[in-house]
Amino acid sequence: MSAVDFMGVSPLLLLVGAGLALMLVDAFSAERSELALVTAASLFAGAALAGSMLVSGELPAAPELVTRYLAADRLGLLFDVVICVGGGLSALLAGGYLREHGLERGEFYVLLIFTAFGAMVLARAVDLLSIFLGLETMSLGAYALVAYRRTSARAVEGAVKYFLLGSFAAAILLFGSALLYGATGHTDLAGIREVVAAGDADPILAVLALVMLLVGLAFKVGAVPFHMWVPDSYEGAVTPVTTFMSVAVKAAAVAVLIRVLVGAFGDEASMSLYTGWTPVIFLLSIATMVYGNLAALAQSSVKRMLAYSSVAHAGYILVGIAAAHEVGAFAVSAVLFYVAAYTVSNVLAFGSLILMGSKGKEAVSYDDLAGAGRRHPMAAFPFVIGVLSLLGMPPTAGFFGKYYVFSAAVQAGGPMVWLAVLGVLASGVGAYYYLKVIVYLYMREPEEGQAIAVPMQSIYVVAALVLSAYYVVKMGIMPGRYLDWAVSAASSFMS
Amino acid sequence: MGVGTYLALAAVLFGIGAAGFLTRRNMLIQLMSIELMLNSVNVVLLAFNRVHSANHEGQVFAFFVIAVAAAEAAVGLAILVAYYRIKKTIDTDDARLLKY
Repeated sequence: MSAVDFMGVSPLLLLVGAGLALMLVDAFSAERSELALVTAASLFAGAALAGSMLVSGELPAAPELVTRYLAADRLGLLFDVVICVGGGLSALLAGGYLREHGLERGEFYVLLIFTAFGAMVLARAVDLLSIFLGLETMSLGAYALVAYRRTSARAVEGAVKYFLLGSFAAAILLFGSALLYGATGHTDLAGIREVVAAGDADPILAVLALVMLLVGLAFKVGAVPFHMWVPDSYEGAVTPVTTFMSVAVKAAAVAVLIRVLVGAFGDEASMSLYTGWTPVIFLLSIATMVYGNLAALAQSSVKRMLAYSSVAHAGYILVGIAAAHEVGAFAVSAVLFYVAAYTVSNVLAFGSLILMGSKGKEAVSYDDLAGAGRRHPMAAFPFVIGVLSLLGMPPTAGFFGKYYVFSAAVQAGGPMVWLAVLGVLASGVGAYYYLKVIVYLYMREPEEGQAIAVPMQSIYVVAALVLSAYYVVKMGIMPGRYLDWAVSAASSFMS
Repeated sequence: MGVGTYLALAAVLFGIGAAGFLTRRNMLIQLMSIELMLNSVNVVLLAFNRVHSANHEGQVFAFFVIAVAAAEAAVGLAILVAYYRIKKTIDTDDARLLKY
């Protein structure tokens, strides 16, 4: 067995190596070493490695012993790219933010890399065992990252809530996995699919198992009514961690949702419009879109508004998954494109929020942003692109993300058309709170004597913003290439 | 005894854990409830391993669950300690700094 045999999982190995090396470097290096840069470089290298394998025709090989648990398919490679890019950009943001606020410690970057590794394992997991291990590797890192600023009451409270609810959901998911193993006699998703499709699975156990798996996964995606942890932990965590959670952790959860629902339960009967899992996702999606958007309306903190907006975006993603019963490959590719577009847009929005504040003068509420667009036009401009993309305005990535997801729902026909209509209406509601950011930036002046946010100076944050803005605009003007990747990943997964 | 007996035991354990998590307001007890739920999963896995005994996937799975439960308790207790240092209490009703 040579090293070439492991090419299929090389991005994972790269990250493990980088994480271990970083721990050593951190132990022996002096202060102010460029750990953020090393972390971002390792994550971008992982993205480049996965991306190069994705665009080349041949799929890389991996030993059967590995692929039994971790897929080395195009879907996995695509999520590698998304998670590594999201993680790398978050590491750059952290490099600026943590230093500005005097919080920089080496363990942050180690945790970031290992959490990204867990997310990639989860996105590739094709066995109940590796789903559980990936989920926990990712979540334990994420709990610790939320609690990172451990002297802040808000951070620790957010972490406590996230940890308690997260492990409760993980326990439910695990019980579901155990029941599914009992119902089918398999822990691998392919074997489960065979048994379920043949109708040999114990029906009561299988349905119970699917419900419990769905609860656990809906929690991780942040779908209503399992979203309670999202605003609290997103608000409590330092902003680079919020960014990372809203992109990488969410992307991995979407990946495993696709693998379980469309993969293991992808047969005709399980996906059926009225008796399968489709109506459940349908309802979850409605609740998530409506609640996420309405709750975001009521926020006075921009960070918390973006947290609720990420709940709303989970709803749009679920629209695509609900449409998979009719237009399988297209719906999945729309979801993949959406996740990629959402990743760069969200990094841009959160990154701009980071850039707008400096030590002691953090930008949190709308009022903090008042007039900042006129005082600091260069710093405010990326914020405008970010919120427009989250809103779904052309020519940004967010527009095509929403367009593909909703057109998948329309093509699926039947009640799914109403889901698309509702999605468009919900996005209309979203216009209010996204445009409110722009209104405050450019058309309001701070009140007399009010503390104003002062933008920070950081080459790292600027680099992350330039990179994400570039891809937001590029995916909005020339989405073709990215959609091709999403389609090839989805169709190779479905066949 | 058949598999059903073990499953019933597991369901009861899981129910006690879930009820404890949802009703108790002490975070340490909630953490213990979660551990109880994880252990009920082990009972399910071992019971089903008797039915599908070809390759003992269930037993292997249970080992991983035990290991992960320990890691989870370590991280969870660390977060609880950090919380207690700030708040001097571990009652969930007092955790209301962040809302709406």
